[in-house]
Order: sequence, then structure tokens, then C-alpha cells
Amino acid sequence: MTAPSSTLKTSRLSGLLGNRALLTLGIVIAVWIVASLTSRGFGTWGHLRYLIELAAVIGVVAAGQTLVMIGGGIDLSVGAVITVTAVGVPLLSIPGDATGLGAIAAILGITTAIGIVNGAGIAYLRVHPMIMTLAMATFLQGALILLAGGSAVSVDNAVIDMLGNARPCGIPASVLFWIAVALVTVLMLRRTRFGARVYALGANPLASALSGVNVPMTTLALYGFSGLMAGLAGLLALGMNGQGYVGIGDPYVLMSIAAVVLGGTSILGGLGGYAGTVPGAVLLVTISGLITVVNASAGWRSVLFGVLILGLLLLSGREAARR
Amino acid sequence: MSTMSASAVAHRGLYRAVQLRRNKGIGGLTIVVLLFLAAYAVLFPGLLTFEGFAKFSQTWLPLALTAMAQAMLMLAGGISLSVGATVSLGAVVAATTMGTPLGVAGGLGAVVLVGLVVGAITGAITVRLRLPAIIVTLAGSFIIGGVALLILPRPGGSVPTTVSDLLAGTSPVAFGLLLATIALWKLYAATPLGLGLYAAGENPVGAYRSGVAVDTVLIAAYAISGALTALAGFFVAAQTGSGDPVIGSAFTLNSIAAAVLGGVGFGGGQGTMRGAFLGSLLLTVMINVMFFLGLPPVAQYIAQGLIIVGAVALPEIAKRRAHRAGRVQS
Repeated sequence: MTAPSSTLKTSRLSGLLGNRALLTLGIVIAVWIVASLTSRGFGTWGHLRYLIELAAVIGVVAAGQTLVMIGGGIDLSVGAVITVTAVGVPLLSIPGDATGLGAIAAILGITTAIGIVNGAGIAYLRVHPMIMTLAMATFLQGALILLAGGSAVSVDNAVIDMLGNARPCGIPASVLFWIAVALVTVLMLRRTRFGARVYALGANPLASALSGVNVPMTTLALYGFSGLMAGLAGLLALGMNGQGYVGIGDPYVLMSIAAVVLGGTSILGGLGGYAGTVPGAVLLVTISGLITVVNASAGWRSVLFGVLILGLLLLSGREAARR
Repeated sequence: MSTMSASAVAHRGLYRAVQLRRNKGIGGLTIVVLLFLAAYAVLFPGLLTFEGFAKFSQTWLPLALTAMAQAMLMLAGGISLSVGATVSLGAVVAATTMGTPLGVAGGLGAVVLVGLVVGAITGAITVRLRLPAIIVTLAGSFIIGGVALLILPRPGGSVPTTVSDLLAGTSPVAFGLLLATIALWKLYAATPLGLGLYAAGENPVGAYRSGVAVDTVLIAAYAISGALTALAGFFVAAQTGSGDPVIGSAFTLNSIAAAVLGGVGFGGGQGTMRGAFLGSLLLTVMINVMFFLGLPPVAQYIAQGLIIVGAVALPEIAKRRAHRAGRVQS
């Protein structure tokens, strides 16, 4: 392959990357327009707001997942971490803690620590991310049943209630929170040294280590961030549901990965960004909302969901040809 | 004629060398498995009876089949997160066809056919449309699981008692099936499709340029892996006597864990099928021991998480220790 053609390829690739976020956004808008025209009640302000609220939870988990996947890894423990949060906050609430902030800080510390343990296993023990995080999920699943006993626990925490239900100026607090998370994530990826290191790590771990990137610390930070984000998403999910139960976080593993990939981030690492994940999350929620509207059996809903995700992936998730 | 026999000798030497190297790679694992088996036999002498051995091989077979299916894909550079759903689909198809005029043979044929088709479609989408295998199989698990729910919305159907008695009775037929599967794998590994598997997994571009039909090799691997997985589902249905549309879900993680315990890597082309096979044996023994010790399911989850990480991490730590020691000496 000659040099000019490869530079041409990279410039075209980066152009595509910039467009992938827009492409996903375009699909979302097209789906919304078609759905509002064909399905009564879809296009109302209340319904669209509800969809964005649901997307906020996915979007926040997917912020961590985006970073991890750009760094060349994957975090399959986010579902279990969300459940830990939703079940753990009610358990950690102690009478002396009137604001409830103590419990929140404690649980976020725990989820960040879980993420750091994931990162330590991956960085120091060289366990593959998929195995490490799946094993962590299995471990947490057992620990959770031990702690929560399998029954739903309701929460009485003013801050979490506000996150889940308050609507300053008609905009849900969870959506405002998501916007804040999105800004921080995008700035971190695009404007900080840490962000640059994450891209380098995902593109080529050996080269980045040789160029002075502290690979173990970056990995710890990546998975710690993912744990923190999953914890925050757990708080949002808990606020919306009002109670936590074992299994509340299960759907978010697939949802977060799908949102990241639909947003154009490569599962191989080194490429992508959070700007695509945001419309990816909205798109996912819209699809599941539409499937619920179509009055179908559980089997058909599952088939439709899988087929739609595959179809959307064809638009945005393809890899380069081998030749 | 004499040159031919000379080259045959050379080939045999090469073959031996490769086999020896593959055996060497799993030496440590073999010792661990033997230790675990010995501990198991001491704790539960029932294992050494004819019937106990039969029961043990029955819990091993479905995991061994799914681990082999997973290892095949991982060796080829892929992975499947739809193993669990495919096991369920195989179970459901078996339970809904074997009681009908299709009969046992027809039902078995239907299971294999469904597995082949599901695998081939997954492979074709992954390979031809160039989508990441993780995502395709994750989305595929929803589609396959949904189809299983459509065929059999709630547990039901039936597998003829003759089949159940034969496969899950008191004779170690399951062990015989395991040996047969290994023999078939050895045969497959000697075909161009099987030989191309490692090459396509380790270096697809190099394999393509050396004339390996990479796409065909990969799609065939996905199809056969699908058939193996569906057969595991059939066996599970025979064990329980009926079909359940969600019975397979645990097999996704367990098949990956067994393959990884056996030293199969995620990068493609790393590891061996015999390793994955031993990995499935190790995992089966662990699960059985935990079950018989009367540990609550909670502790089983926790222990399984710890064991998997430990088993994957320990060889790595040992390797680095050895590496460091070697550097100090030299």
C-alpha cells in the first residue's frame, strides 16, 4: 500500500467518524418523525420527555463504557454494579444522615472501588477484560443476594428522589444530570491528557506503553470511571423506580454496549467518542419503546429488538475489509 | 516411492512435534484437573461407581460441547455470546419435534439443522458484513432466544422417555458421545477447513494471502459451532425430559470460562481444543463439588467468580515470575 492512498484513507476515515455521531442523530430524528406520524401519542411532549429520561440512565452508563471501549476493553459488570447501587443505597442509609448524601458518597465510593478492582485484575493480573468483568458480575450477583436477600428494597433519600423525579423548568433532573455528565466526558476525552492516553492505549497498548503512557494507572482510571458512571446510573434508575431489586441493572449491559457501538465507537478500541453514544442511547430507547407499542408477544419483541440492532449496526458498526 | 516415504516420515515428525508442544502447553492444567478429580473422588467416592461416573459424564457433556463450540470460534478469532440462547433453541426444537411423527431421528436431524443454520447465518453476518462478532452474537442472542420463546412460550413439550433413559440413565452413554465428539473433531482438524481454523484466527490476512479460504473456514466454524451448541441443548432437553425456552442462559459464561481456563485466548489462534476440553472438565468438577458440598447458590456465584479470575491470573503470574528469574540469572 502506498503512502498517498493510506493518508487518503485516514482522512476519509476521520471524516466518517465525525459524521457517525451525526448519522446516528439523523436516524433518531427520522425514526421519531415516522413514529409520531404513524403511532398516535408517540410524538407528544410527555412521551418524548419520558424516552429521554430513560435514555439518560443508559447514556450515563454508556459514558463509562465508551471510555473503556475506546481504551480497547469492555465492561460487562456495569449491570451488576447498577444493581449494587440500587440495592446498596437503601441498606447504607443510616438514621443520623439526614440529607442522604453520606449514603450516596459511600455507594459511589464502593462502585468506583469495584471498577478499580476490575482495572487491577486487567492491568496487573493480565486477565482479559471480558473474563475479569464477567467474573466480577458473577461475584457481585452472589454478594448481592447475600446482602439483599432477593426482595425489593424501597428508598427514602431526598437527593435520589429529586434526581429521579424533579423537573426544574419542565426538564427532568435526570436529563440535566446527563447533560452535565456528557459535557464532562466529552471534555475529558477531547481536552485532557488522560483522554489522549485512553485513545493511545486503545489504538496500540504496546506503542503507548513505549511512548511513556502509564498503562496500568490509565487502565485503573478507565475502569474506575466506568464503575463510578455505573454507580451514578444506578442512582438515576433507583430514583425513577423508587425501589431497588436484584436484576434491576441486567438490561444495561447490552444497552450500554449497543449504545456505544451504534454511536460509532470501535469495539477494537482507539476510535470513536461520546458524541455518538448520546444519540445511540436515545435510539435504543426509542426502538424498545416502539417495540412495546407494537402489541407483540415476548418472543416477537425479543426477535424484533435483535433484528433492529443488527440492522442499525450495518449502518454504523462495520470493520475494515481484510485484503 | 522412497522420497514419498521420507517426506511422510518428516510429516510424522512434524505432527509429533506439534502435538507434543500442544500437550506441553496444558501440562499444568492437566495436573490441576487430576488433583481436583482426585479430591472429588475422595470427597464423593460415588464418582468411582459405574452409575456415579455415568451421572458425572452427563453433567460434563453439555458443558464440554459448548466449550468446544466456543473454543472453535475463539481459535478462529471470533466469539459467541449467543451460546446460551442456542442451547435453549436446541432444547426447544428437540422437545417439540421428537414427540411428533418426525420421531427421534427426525427430531435430532431438526436440532442439528437448526444449529447449523443459526451458526451459518451468524457466521455469514459476521464475516461477510464485517461486523464485530461480540455485537452480532449479542444481538443474535435476542433473536435466537426470541425464536425459542416463539416455538415454546413456556416450558413444555416432551422428549421420549426412551431417549431420556438412554442418554441420561445409568449407563455412561454420555461419555461415549464425548469420545465420539473428540474423534470427529480430530477428523475435522485434519480437513482443509479445520487446518485453516488456526491460520485464519491467528493471522487472517496472512492466511488469505497464502490461499486459505478464510471466509469459508470462518463460516464453517460458526455453523459447526452452532450445531454443537444445539446438540448440547438437545442433551439438556433429554436430561430434563422437556423443553424450556430459557434453560441455556448459564452456558454463555460457562462456555467462555471453560475455554479460557483451558488456555484458549481471545486474540484467535492461541490455545488448543484439548485445553478447552480439559477446561470444561475442571469447571464441571468445580461446579459439582460446590453443589455437593451444599454451598448455597450465593456462595457458588462468589466462588465461581473468584476461581475463574484466579485460574486465569495464576499462570500469568507464574509466567512473569519465571521470566523475571530468568532475567536475573542471565
